[in-house]
Amino acid sequence: MATEPKLSHTAAMILQTIHAGQIYGFSVMEATGLPSGTVYPAMRRLERDGLIVSKWEKQSIADAEQRPLRKYYKLTRAGETTLEAMHKRYPLLKKMIADPEVKNA
Amino acid sequence: MSLQLLRRSLPVSLFLLRCASWLVPGRERAEWLAEWRAEVWHVWHLQDRNAQVTDLCLGAFQDAFWLRWYNPRSVPRRTLRTGSASRCSFSLAVWTAISFVVCLSLPGARKAMSPSPFRDADGLVMIASGGYAGTQVPTIPLQDYRSWKLSTRHLFSGLAFYQPERKRVHVAMHRRTELTIGRASDNLLQLLNLPASPRSGDQASGQYAARLFLSQAAWRELFGSDAGVIGNHAEIGGQRVLIAGVITQDSSQLPGQVDAWLLEDQRHLDMLPRNAKGFVVGQMRTSGLRHMDGWRTMNVSNEDGGNERFDCISLAQRSRLPFSIFLFTLIVAVITLPATTALPLGEYPRLSGRLPGTVSGRRWLFLLSKVSLVVPLVCLSSVDVAYGIPSLSSTSTQYIQLGLSYFGFLFAFRWILEDQRKRCPVCLRVLSNPARVGEASRNFLAWNGTELICTGGHGLLHIPELPTSWFSTQRWLSLDASWGSLFSDACVPSAGFV
Repeated sequence: MATEPKLSHTAAMILQTIHAGQIYGFSVMEATGLPSGTVYPAMRRLERDGLIVSKWEKQSIADAEQRPLRKYYKLTRAGETTLEAMHKRYPLLKKMIADPEVKNA
Repeated sequence: MSLQLLRRSLPVSLFLLRCASWLVPGRERAEWLAEWRAEVWHVWHLQDRNAQVTDLCLGAFQDAFWLRWYNPRSVPRRTLRTGSASRCSFSLAVWTAISFVVCLSLPGARKAMSPSPFRDADGLVMIASGGYAGTQVPTIPLQDYRSWKLSTRHLFSGLAFYQPERKRVHVAMHRRTELTIGRASDNLLQLLNLPASPRSGDQASGQYAARLFLSQAAWRELFGSDAGVIGNHAEIGGQRVLIAGVITQDSSQLPGQVDAWLLEDQRHLDMLPRNAKGFVVGQMRTSGLRHMDGWRTMNVSNEDGGNERFDCISLAQRSRLPFSIFLFTLIVAVITLPATTALPLGEYPRLSGRLPGTVSGRRWLFLLSKVSLVVPLVCLSSVDVAYGIPSLSSTSTQYIQLGLSYFGFLFAFRWILEDQRKRCPVCLRVLSNPARVGEASRNFLAWNGTELICTGGHGLLHIPELPTSWFSTQRWLSLDASWGSLFSDACVPSAGFV
């Protein structure tokens, strides 16, 4: 039986934030109110555990907006499964940072 | 530009990022820096939150540190990972260093470890009755000293007597204080070769029957290193004496813990009662020294016609006593070790050719490093405990050192062997995941016991429950590289000290 990774509330909040569409490090900071010294190491840990994955955006997007390339993060399938489990463990997580579909509605 | 504005400036933030990037492992540094620069650019240009940019960059240090520490290839992490040989050696080295620092900071322990301050310590002997214990308390009556001065001329080129006493000392301009005064024959310092400062501090000494020489410690602590004290007069128990100088060398290794030496001429020394007991120090003649091996006995005829036996203990030997005890206990511990644990380290079939020949050597090197760190650790710790308690008599101190160092060595050597046995011979990490294998009833045809595994995937260690003629000791089973995929730590190199 596969064991689900145990996440702290902070890590679960970051996972939820990325799931909610805040895909850059700074936007996760803004949405959660956590400092950079907490957010970035937590994202590294989540990436190491295979719950999120990072990718560089396309050069054309950065060129169009005349800015440097940014790295964005998104949930993996394992990350989505873990987040569902985390919703049971931390029921207020969804209320704190709303899911994208809830936000759109 | 104010400090606040400087803090919020982009160049300062980028400089901080550059500094933090040096913490990031080299192969990830460029990508890490690009990500952080893009974030800073975004915050600076689009969010217009200049105030936040420096705080953002300060967090980069934590991020960089995380990457450094949790990188599987990180050298400090690999070095200090739980169960690694380096961590073990590092911990032992730290404990040894702590013991050494404690030894230096405790006056008693420091004195015990320092060499003899006397120049010709091999020829100098302490005459006492009752061996080493007799050298700790005054045992020789003054009348014996007087008679030996004549009767033992063929053995000693010089004999000196001293008697430590607590006396109140008063020096003008200084408060009255109580000191341990060594009332001594006037040849004592000359015999011990103890230099005093000033060398000619006794210009006026001819007029005085007694001259007082302060020890460095007493001069510093009680008179605040006041040079004006020298040449002054002091009153000791109603006797007016001249403070002739300060002994520049440590004389605290002589028994009695004397703060100041009061050198008196023969006439004044004779005023002491005949049976007043003190210490006698002698300088052996070269002919006598030839037969001296640290401890000799001297037979003297007494007034009743009988023979009295005294021990002549070399001062050099006396100062080497902690080392002698240490050496003795080391030898006894090595001899008794086989009675407490099995010495064989197990059967390690020749490791396969894929490993460099140095791997086996490193295993022995690690064993040697543990021994070489444990020996000074036990020695220093036993000295710290035994000599660090000032209220103990010197005999108790020696017994404590003897006990601590013997049991310390015994347990340390046992631990070294046990630790060596439960390590992987390839990566030297502690083996884990013990599993019970087999049943006791299978012992006749197979084996039963415990199986330990190397998390690096180098092999398995089988420890039999009951040693038999076909499985007498633990046995190592090497695994080849094809097993690597099963182990999470398979990346651990066979680098011995990792």
